[in-house]
Amino acid sequence: MTTLYLERASAVHRLNPVTKLVALLAIIAIVFAVPQWWVPLGIVVFVVVPAAVLARVGGRLLRLFLILLLPLLVVLFIVQGFFFPDGTTVLWQWGPARLTVEGLVFSLTIGSRLSALVLGSLVFVLTTHPARLMTSLTQAGMSAKIAYVISASLQIIPAFQERARSILLAQQARGLEIAGGPLRRARALLPLIAPLVLGMITDVDERSTAMEARAFGATPRPTSLTVVDDPLSERIGRWLLAATAAAVIVLVVVGVIA
Amino acid sequence: MIELRDVAFAYEDAPAFTLAHLDLDVAAGTIMGIVGASGSGKTTLAKIIAGFIPSTEGGTYRGTASVAGAVLSEGTLTEAVDVVGLVTQNPFNQISGARFTVREELAFGLENRSVERSQMIERVNTVAATLGLTPLLDRSPYALSGGQMQLVAIASMVVMAPPVLVLDEPTSQLDPAGTRLVYDVLGRLSEGGTTIVIIEHKTELLHEHCDAIAVLAGGRIVSTGTPASVFADDRLSTWGVGQTRITQAAREARTRGLLPATEPLPVGVSDGAAVFGTNGETR
Repeated sequence: MTTLYLERASAVHRLNPVTKLVALLAIIAIVFAVPQWWVPLGIVVFVVVPAAVLARVGGRLLRLFLILLLPLLVVLFIVQGFFFPDGTTVLWQWGPARLTVEGLVFSLTIGSRLSALVLGSLVFVLTTHPARLMTSLTQAGMSAKIAYVISASLQIIPAFQERARSILLAQQARGLEIAGGPLRRARALLPLIAPLVLGMITDVDERSTAMEARAFGATPRPTSLTVVDDPLSERIGRWLLAATAAAVIVLVVVGVIA
Repeated sequence: MIELRDVAFAYEDAPAFTLAHLDLDVAAGTIMGIVGASGSGKTTLAKIIAGFIPSTEGGTYRGTASVAGAVLSEGTLTEAVDVVGLVTQNPFNQISGARFTVREELAFGLENRSVERSQMIERVNTVAATLGLTPLLDRSPYALSGGQMQLVAIASMVVMAPPVLVLDEPTSQLDPAGTRLVYDVLGRLSEGGTTIVIIEHKTELLHEHCDAIAVLAGGRIVSTGTPASVFADDRLSTWGVGQTRITQAAREARTRGLLPATEPLPVGVSDGAAVFGTNGETR
């Protein structure tokens, strides 16, 4: 299974995944609705980071931030900060590069929104086991077939890699050379693609037989072995989160927040 | 329990019928072994007994296949699935891909049949314990070896407790201990009234565990009977089925004049030991 999930005993982990999903969607809606750069930044500092620390996934979140987000933020700062076309208040200039207040504010706004979106999503993924997510979504009324598609997509990648490895081994055993420059490596991929893709398509037929043999889709409301708790407090919390996000959007639309 | 009458099937665009004029009877609560050369139509036969042909496969289907008195082609696949459990050849493709632990994987079929949670837990734990899967219950199904995956595939069908089980080469990836375990479980299920059809190449195993054997060749059942009578048949090799090593040894002994031609050919270890022991003593 390809997932970033980290097993920890924490309150954030114990939350119903639907509650976390609603919180994430509320955060995304708010940070993209509000124009002020300090709102997304405040959400990152006062909501996302404390949640990660509470869930004891802060170290992994920091590492992912450094790998995934920091390079992007640096590029954003350089491009928008120094080359913002509508920048008038120049702070520093060197040749065509002009560091402007407007450019800085713009890069801060986009950067903080992006940070809230990516870090919030990462905390969600780091603290939510896909099985619990799927169960809670089906409990909340999502179709079992859609849940299957999502779960299967998460698990298919390692299976795909394993099959690719065995095909490659079989072809190397028959004299295919894969060592060498990038061109040779790319050429070695070609004979891999057809058996890999065709093999997976053939598998689909047998898998669908196996799924039907286990009565998949036989009842619209299957039961579930795993049950995810959904206390009243969380259900109220979800409505409050949704209402807050909706209220913020309305305030922005009517011009109260500008 | 299982009655196939004049069944024929040709896959779409295939030049010939895979199965033709096929008749087969399997009594309730017995274990029937099906043998035949590769490509003789064993998997097609398994799918017909399980109701997957003709309902999920295009082609020409004729004849009548009934299980527990119901004609499968007249009902829905869900109805067939409730009566017949099918374990197909490749264990990797039997893992649903929708569940993250072996425990959930075993419960998958029960969930789809809306079995109550408490009952589900009990059934999963019992079957896992029977097939030695308890230590693997919290592992990912994809992190298992081929043999373990095959056991999970068998367990995931056994847990649904259908009155008829059809298994297509269920022990192809298992070691001797795993194979013995599976056959022991199948034996117990049969004693409990489950009717079992096993497609298998390992004739010695079939001789040991089956009540009856059917040989499939040229798209038809060419021989049926007790394992002892079918596996001692001289025509077995012409049907593309290997004899047990005991039978091969006895045949060789007969050719060399070490065994009288009147002596019936032994098939299993115990009757082999009896024949060779008796003749050894007399000589």
